[in-house]
Amino acid sequence: MKDVVIAGYARSPFTFARKGELTKVRPDELAAQVIRGLVERTGVKVEDIEDLLLGCAFPEGEQGLNAARIIGILSEKLPLSVAGVTINRFCGSSMQAIHSAAGAIQMNAGEVFICAGVESMSRVPMMGFNPMPHPGLYESFPAVYMGMGETAENVAEKYQITRKDQEAFAVVSQQRAAKAQQDGRLEGEIVSIEDKGGHVSKDGCIRPETDASTLADLKPAFLENGSVTAGTSSPLTDGASAVLVCSAEYAEKNGLDAMARIRSIAVAGCAPEIMGIGPVGASRKALDRAGIDVAKLDVIELNEAFASQAIACMRDLGLDHDKVNMDGGAIALGHPLGATGARITGKAAQILKREGGRYALSTQCIGGGQGIATVLEAV
Amino acid sequence: MSIKKVAVLGAGVMGSGIAAHVTNAGIPVLLLDIVPEGANDRNTVAAGAVARMLKTEPAAFMHRKNASLVTVGNLEDDLDKLADADWIIEAVIERLDVKRDLYKKVDAVRKPGAVVSSNTSTIPMARLTEDMPEAFRRDFLITHFFNPPRYMRLLELVTAPETNSETAQTVREFCDRMLGKGVVECKDTPGFIGNRIGIYWLQVAVAEAMALGVSVEEADAVVGRPMGIPRTGVFGLLDLVGIDLMPHILKSLDETLSEKDAFREYAGTPPLIEKMIADGYTGRKGKGGFYRLKRDGGKRVKEALDLTSGEYREAQKVTPASVEASKSGGLRALVTHDDNTGRYAWRVLAKTLHYAASLVPEIADDIVAVDEAMKLGYNWKQGPFELIDQLGAAWFADRLKADGMGVPALIERAGDGSFYRVADGRLEFLGVDGKHQALKRAPGVLLLSDIKLAGEPVAKNASASLWDIGDGVLCLEFRSKMNALEPDTMAMIKNAVEIIPGGYKALVIYNEGSNFSVGANIGLALYAANIAAWNDIENMVRLGQEAYRALKHAPFPVVGAPSGMALGGGCEVLLHCDAVEAHAETYMGLVEVGVGLVPGWGGCKELLVRASADPKRPGGPMPPVIKAFETISMATVAKSAVEAKDHLYLRPDDGVVMNRDRVLAAAKDRALKLAENYTPPESVELSLPGPTANAAMKMAVDGFRKLGKATPHDEVVAGALAGVLSGGDTDFTESLSEDAILELERSAFMSLIRHPGTQARMTHMLETGRPLRN
Repeated sequence: MKDVVIAGYARSPFTFARKGELTKVRPDELAAQVIRGLVERTGVKVEDIEDLLLGCAFPEGEQGLNAARIIGILSEKLPLSVAGVTINRFCGSSMQAIHSAAGAIQMNAGEVFICAGVESMSRVPMMGFNPMPHPGLYESFPAVYMGMGETAENVAEKYQITRKDQEAFAVVSQQRAAKAQQDGRLEGEIVSIEDKGGHVSKDGCIRPETDASTLADLKPAFLENGSVTAGTSSPLTDGASAVLVCSAEYAEKNGLDAMARIRSIAVAGCAPEIMGIGPVGASRKALDRAGIDVAKLDVIELNEAFASQAIACMRDLGLDHDKVNMDGGAIALGHPLGATGARITGKAAQILKREGGRYALSTQCIGGGQGIATVLEAV
Repeated sequence: MSIKKVAVLGAGVMGSGIAAHVTNAGIPVLLLDIVPEGANDRNTVAAGAVARMLKTEPAAFMHRKNASLVTVGNLEDDLDKLADADWIIEAVIERLDVKRDLYKKVDAVRKPGAVVSSNTSTIPMARLTEDMPEAFRRDFLITHFFNPPRYMRLLELVTAPETNSETAQTVREFCDRMLGKGVVECKDTPGFIGNRIGIYWLQVAVAEAMALGVSVEEADAVVGRPMGIPRTGVFGLLDLVGIDLMPHILKSLDETLSEKDAFREYAGTPPLIEKMIADGYTGRKGKGGFYRLKRDGGKRVKEALDLTSGEYREAQKVTPASVEASKSGGLRALVTHDDNTGRYAWRVLAKTLHYAASLVPEIADDIVAVDEAMKLGYNWKQGPFELIDQLGAAWFADRLKADGMGVPALIERAGDGSFYRVADGRLEFLGVDGKHQALKRAPGVLLLSDIKLAGEPVAKNASASLWDIGDGVLCLEFRSKMNALEPDTMAMIKNAVEIIPGGYKALVIYNEGSNFSVGANIGLALYAANIAAWNDIENMVRLGQEAYRALKHAPFPVVGAPSGMALGGGCEVLLHCDAVEAHAETYMGLVEVGVGLVPGWGGCKELLVRASADPKRPGGPMPPVIKAFETISMATVAKSAVEAKDHLYLRPDDGVVMNRDRVLAAAKDRALKLAENYTPPESVELSLPGPTANAAMKMAVDGFRKLGKATPHDEVVAGALAGVLSGGDTDFTESLSEDAILELERSAFMSLIRHPGTQARMTHMLETGRPLRN
């Protein structure tokens, strides 16, 4: 089978929904600019690209109408011969885009793909504009529609994750992200977004001043007597991300910078009311398929939808916090749903290359009760 | 010349409040203040003021977005920007040298003819401008706003003989029409009208309470409702405005008033108050004032200051015998009551009214200006001369003589008559020449109170009247207590719908109460519920639905003209009008969930219709339902007419009238315009999502319940509301008529009113005036 590699990673700055600098930027425009940046930085021959796969959790409004096709054209970089598909696996959407591309490459259904993701949580609300739950199912199995915050509370309860633990975790995420930003480790991946003559080039969600005492003052955000607060949850975020996925052979022949090889992939379902534990099942399957165990991992990107679920997954999988989210996670950086999977997979490849080591894991939980995971190997 | 851009110099409480209110008129404003020593941000004072105003309650801005009309700057770097301003308002510290220095700088940059005015409350105009060139003096006047500038309607306008009359007229018109102020012309005398009489009144009321040993609660009970200062009385008012303000104004009046002025008798600050200020007890903004709320564990206890000991003690609920007597015997019974509080009432009233009467024409050309100023600037229900009329001018003169106080010439001139009278259906007032003359309203001012003096209503019952306001327009006036809506109100609406096509062109719904309407009479509904008269209740709901529907589809235009609160059924009637001309200070809301009900007179239906037709809404069947649900389930009350547009209570093209006195005329004009080629609106059909929407709303409520933000009965009420707004057992491929939605409203209303949780809410509201969280 062909080896598949990640050969480029770029993203927009991530900023707060409804109050950040990207609030008024249309998501199609946002993603198009990121793709333009990725194409320019990698120097990929655009006529070779088979398809643009775009992950989006709420593909409607400005991110509807098969946004992938529209964004490809809007980017003014991709020729009309490059196809486009919009993929929805909620938060796992753009990691799924990578998986789909990898599968296609191994099927000989293309050599090079752009796998992107976008979410403007300012402009398309979570649940979409028209949430229309099935009334019967809502009666018989309400968990399937349960709010994400409540699932985070359930995980905290079930896995005995205290509020203090969650807050300590959030502080680490903020500190790592702030340090990465300060040391210039984020600049390289960010594509500056042009908006009406201005530029947005810096992440906007990071709160370096966060400490135990600022977090301790916050009220529970989802349950009256709960432990999860806004400070231990990822914020509503606007952002886009993209990675270049191609066969190892193509990368070598065309002088592309292969950052990491995709070693294995997996998805797995779980109970919707504890969807945050989804990464456990998916990661175990992916690690099995890669033939390695957790101890072999050097770099881990575990999406921080909520501190409670991230801690529960770390404990259950036996992950070493020092290796998890070294440049900070979504609690600090933000979580634009459809864009996160490509960010953490691109990030895992980037850190693996930067820090040295052999294996990396990127994994995330998904609303409705799922997990998705990717194992990368150094090239 | 017209005023398109305004600059305000000084971003203190008054300056920034004035700037905010100018933006409420849609006018951009430049706000400048000093650069504090060592400041990083040189505009920090002005910028801080804007940030503070976005947080203050009651809000200075009528809409948050108005803040973007304020450009902030500082008095060092940005003076050249004044060249753009048509009107420059100075509201800096009350120091003559500072003001004069600033005027020189302003004069150097202002464009020719730009108006400059001072908001000074104490410095005579002559002194402000004595060393300024004549060209400046021609463009200069005093515009004295009251705090807070958005809410206090009084604007005292002072001109000098050399003031350009056109300039004065421009400012007068702008303040009246654009800022909604009651502009009162004052002479250039210390404290003008409001503070001259108001401060004297406060000083007398405090000093006499101390002298007679009357407690603050007793004093406030006497000065409150009986004298017409209902909310605060005198000590409550001092707490509200800030006790530390008094010495400043007193000092200034002390320096400028003549030696013989009656004010001198009460000019000093009592030692108790000096100590309070020194210790930080400056009123509500400080550690407390004459009253304070003390936290005792979880409870909050209201305490009052003992004027003798200077110590706090638990506040007493008092009903002095004099106040009881006044309920049937009026003001005379109050001031003649033979006890301490009666004597107190007499002294306060006698001194204050005597003082006011002795000041005309020294401070104003006529008594109307004085009465207006005290009503609009100090929130008196009645002005001094209206109060004298209540006592009877001759009776009052006799009492003054008996007390050896002397009778002011103006009161003697009233003789056995009164200061105000109605002659030939018109209101007249006593001029300083001793002759009565007609009270003239400004062009464009139409008052129902004037119309009511002139004749009888076209129709009338216990809850409402119909008045002919000319040109073929009838005015429906609510007249029940707090303008609550009752079966008779609905009967009068139906009556109007029958009468008008036979000889009139249009209907305006308007009244001059403090509130347009607080909604349905829940006392009546609760009474019926208590005796299980369910059919009667259902008939009340049906009657209201029919009346409002008849209004909406009547063959003539209906224009609503609210001011103050328009809640529940009061909001619903406006939703059924063809157009609304709302006073800017209109507070609309569908608040039925507060008493455990849903809007039952077409409010749910109308909001759904509006949300569906809203061109700015996202597509699909859910957004209108969600919008209506959020608005109604939160009992959302708009805090201004402009904000009401955000909530769809008003339409984008409904009018907002800044001046309360111009609302009726605006509504009448609108009605007459609509009457040309009028066709009533057609009934619309709505496609609603049915059970899926019900489930989506239930999900949202579940979330609030879990977060502790919704109570168990909230869940019941919101569930019933969701049943209505979802369209019930329908599907978005089907259409529902307006009548079908009215039926859903009615059945939800009926199921809720039978619920003990709803009845508990209604009882609680009637007893306490507050919603019950059950």
